[in-house]
Amino acid sequence: MSEPDSRSLRWRPLTPLVLSVGAALVFAAVLTRNPTPLFLALPLLLAPVAAALAGPRRAPSVRIDLSVEGAAAEVKLQGSVVPEPGVDARDLVLEVDRPPGLVGDPAPTFDYSKGEIRFHAVWTAPEPIITEVDVPRVLWRDAVGLVERETTASASPIVVTRYPPELLRIGAVRLERTTLLPGETPSRRIGESGEFHGIRPARPEDPPRQINWRASARAGRALANEYDLDKTGDLLLILDARPTPLGREVDARLFAIARAAAAGLSDSFLRVKSRVGLGVFGEFLDVVPLSTGRTQRIRIETALRHARLASVAAPAERCAVAARHRFPPGLTTVIFSSLSDDSSEDLSPYLRRRGFPVVVLSPSPLPIIAASSPLSGAEEELAARIARLVRRDRIARAWEDSPTIDWDDYWSLGRFVEFVRRPRLRRA
Amino acid sequence: MGLSTASARIRSVQPVSLGLLLIAAVYLGFLSGYPGGFGPLVAGIAVVFAAGLRVGAPRGVAAYAPVPVLVALAVEAVPAPLGLGTELLAGLSGLAFLLWLADDPTRTVGGAARSLPTVAVPALALGIAWSSALFLPAGAVPLGVAGGLLALTLAAVAFLVGRPAVFDREEG
Repeated sequence: MSEPDSRSLRWRPLTPLVLSVGAALVFAAVLTRNPTPLFLALPLLLAPVAAALAGPRRAPSVRIDLSVEGAAAEVKLQGSVVPEPGVDARDLVLEVDRPPGLVGDPAPTFDYSKGEIRFHAVWTAPEPIITEVDVPRVLWRDAVGLVERETTASASPIVVTRYPPELLRIGAVRLERTTLLPGETPSRRIGESGEFHGIRPARPEDPPRQINWRASARAGRALANEYDLDKTGDLLLILDARPTPLGREVDARLFAIARAAAAGLSDSFLRVKSRVGLGVFGEFLDVVPLSTGRTQRIRIETALRHARLASVAAPAERCAVAARHRFPPGLTTVIFSSLSDDSSEDLSPYLRRRGFPVVVLSPSPLPIIAASSPLSGAEEELAARIARLVRRDRIARAWEDSPTIDWDDYWSLGRFVEFVRRPRLRRA
Repeated sequence: MGLSTASARIRSVQPVSLGLLLIAAVYLGFLSGYPGGFGPLVAGIAVVFAAGLRVGAPRGVAAYAPVPVLVALAVEAVPAPLGLGTELLAGLSGLAFLLWLADDPTRTVGGAARSLPTVAVPALALGIAWSSALFLPAGAVPLGVAGGLLALTLAAVAFLVGRPAVFDREEG
């Protein structure tokens, strides 16, 4: 038996109610031999069929435009829905979902006209976030509310990224190079990443688009085009997605904050044509190889949006070995880790031993823990002081291996930006 | 056309359809023959209570607002005495109920006007039925024809409700 099409006509819960009362009235009329209930039953029985006949006979198509505006923590969603000609926009019902991680009135404000629905919502991101606003669900519903149909919408989800504003300027920092020649260096990408530089013997891994077929025909051997890319350096971002004793909920929030910061960092460096790579280390290291350009930005953004916390904590050495396989040594590496237990502190020494100069950016769990603390008054103050001391001790121990920035104000990364702007300090 | 300022979050009472329903239901209650003004009282309370539910109650509860109105109309129509006026009023109460449903306060204003194509079909059927009752001579044959038509209508409605895909048109 085939599945019913979700865009077929659907009876709303009101319809069975109306029909059953209509049917009961018919039986009552027959039993009491009184036609009055029949006259009341007639509109109730015919209305659902009439509503189905009066509406569109197939899923109406609608055009949805979505945009997100606002700065810092503010997320302003604006959009419009325009149905196909012949469909009244006032008969459409919109369901807009507020993405998890944002707060504020979940219901947007709607302005209806005959040909269009405009809506807007103002939400707030309490912490840095990278998330997705789903395309609103649009239903056609008859005016009486007896039948409905799904519509066919042409739109795609929109990504919301909010991170500390200091990251917008961090791209100007000079990063360590992993190539021998300063200035122009060969690009691994084709065409869009740089100007044509010259011709070289083709390698087996060269894609067909990179082969210079005319030059190959003249020379009698396979030759490939080489492109130049002006870039300032390379950056590797590694997110520690292993579980910690803090618990699933706190881990998830810290990981979400780290993902947003990683998105901001990659955005800024990709804007100045640096090459950026990404690694998410849970049970294994999932990587986005080094590259640059708009496509790389989308790749990293997608990887960050889909990154999830692992359920099993893997040894840090596995991350270092995998990183050495996938990335050249000498890359400036930023590790995002909460440093909540001893195993998370291991990541930076292992990576350093494999040749990666590491800076650790550690989102502090203290603000999250303090906000959900059941204690009050002097007890809370004492607990907070002890937690700060423990945290300070962890950061000090982590500093012995590599520079470590304690990130406790989630909307400010001033200390981190200051640090990476001083290359000498960074190298030390 | 400029955008209307109607917001789906503002729940307001639409007085025309509510007034129609109230008048029709109370008058039907009056004709129903209950002693001591019980009929109009039940109808009035049911309609006002339902209107209050739609405007003030949370969405999940507001969805049950039609129930008291339907129950009150049914309770009044069943014991109503025979009479063309009573029959017409019962039918009009049903139509007023549909118009009131269309003026859903959680949706944009003007629902009753937009529901006219839907309400027109039962209104037409009601007109035909009532004029048949008025003009056709009484007897076994017309009664048999009416009964047959009623059975046919019920079967058609049951068939259509059971197969909503019948209303879908294949895309070319």
